[in-house]
Amino acid sequence: MSRATLYFYHFCRLTLGAVYLYAGVVKSADVVVFARDVANYQLLPYAWNYLTAATLPYVETVAALLLLCNRKVRPAALVLTSLTLVFMVALTTVLARGLDIDCGCFNPGQGHTSAGVALLRDAFLLIPAFVTLHLSGRMAKP
Amino acid sequence: MIPGIRTMMIEAAVIFAIGVVLGLSFNAQLVLDAFAGRLSSAGARPSGGEVVQSTVDVQAFPLPVVLEEVRELLAGGALAVDARAAEVYAEGHLPKAFAFPLGEYDQVLPEFLEKVSKESTLILYCSGFGCPDSFDLGERLLAEGYLDVRVYEGGFPEWRDAGLPVEEGAP
Repeated sequence: MSRATLYFYHFCRLTLGAVYLYAGVVKSADVVVFARDVANYQLLPYAWNYLTAATLPYVETVAALLLLCNRKVRPAALVLTSLTLVFMVALTTVLARGLDIDCGCFNPGQGHTSAGVALLRDAFLLIPAFVTLHLSGRMAKP
Repeated sequence: MIPGIRTMMIEAAVIFAIGVVLGLSFNAQLVLDAFAGRLSSAGARPSGGEVVQSTVDVQAFPLPVVLEEVRELLAGGALAVDARAAEVYAEGHLPKAFAFPLGEYDQVLPEFLEKVSKESTLILYCSGFGCPDSFDLGERLLAEGYLDVRVYEGGFPEWRDAGLPVEEGAP
């Protein structure tokens, strides 16, 4: 792996980790409000919105911390890539149903980020996610 | 399956599980209450954010209710509370709903306190999913001491689209 590729890999790893660490920490700070944001998607029975809100930020935080600490990078990147894809599917259904809701991606209850903008942002986030996932596999090889 | 991929997937599952366990350990009471349909706890959270310990079972935040429950509760004497602006209320609202625009909280609160007892079951609604006003109003009314505050997240659009009775006119 060239030096430039190595730098690019670490840049992607740290970017992905930082974004998801921020998302996880701010959402875990107010789980009830985040549960309301999840409920706005109208995809889950209401109690499951609370279960999702109570656990999802912690999954994001754990995986993000591993990426930032350069530990278990590949599985952590897989978790965050999978979550990003799940969010994109959920946001696509929001657009398809014409719902005007806040995505609840970062600060719950603060501001309003439309599903279209959030979908675009997640699409960009897939780039460092896939790069980290792919290159961490190459780095693991002898 | 390729051994490396299998290991990666197992490790990813473990990371996911650790996150879930951590989340549940920090929010066990919330999740249990949600699944029990009893979103309450011994610690109430007033609007100022200060935690108040209580010996009684104080509702910590508004309990979400769905359309069928709203119909049953209203039939049983619950009071619908409309958190939308007065002019939107006038265009159509749930039968006998109390107009309580969140933006006019300070002006409307004295009348509300006078007319509605703290033991009443309140069903707050606004413009449906994505509208936070009913939830925010619910939190404030809980802080005022109302004991049974629920939020109908489907709000007026779902009620109207279900073909249920709608009243028109200013409060």
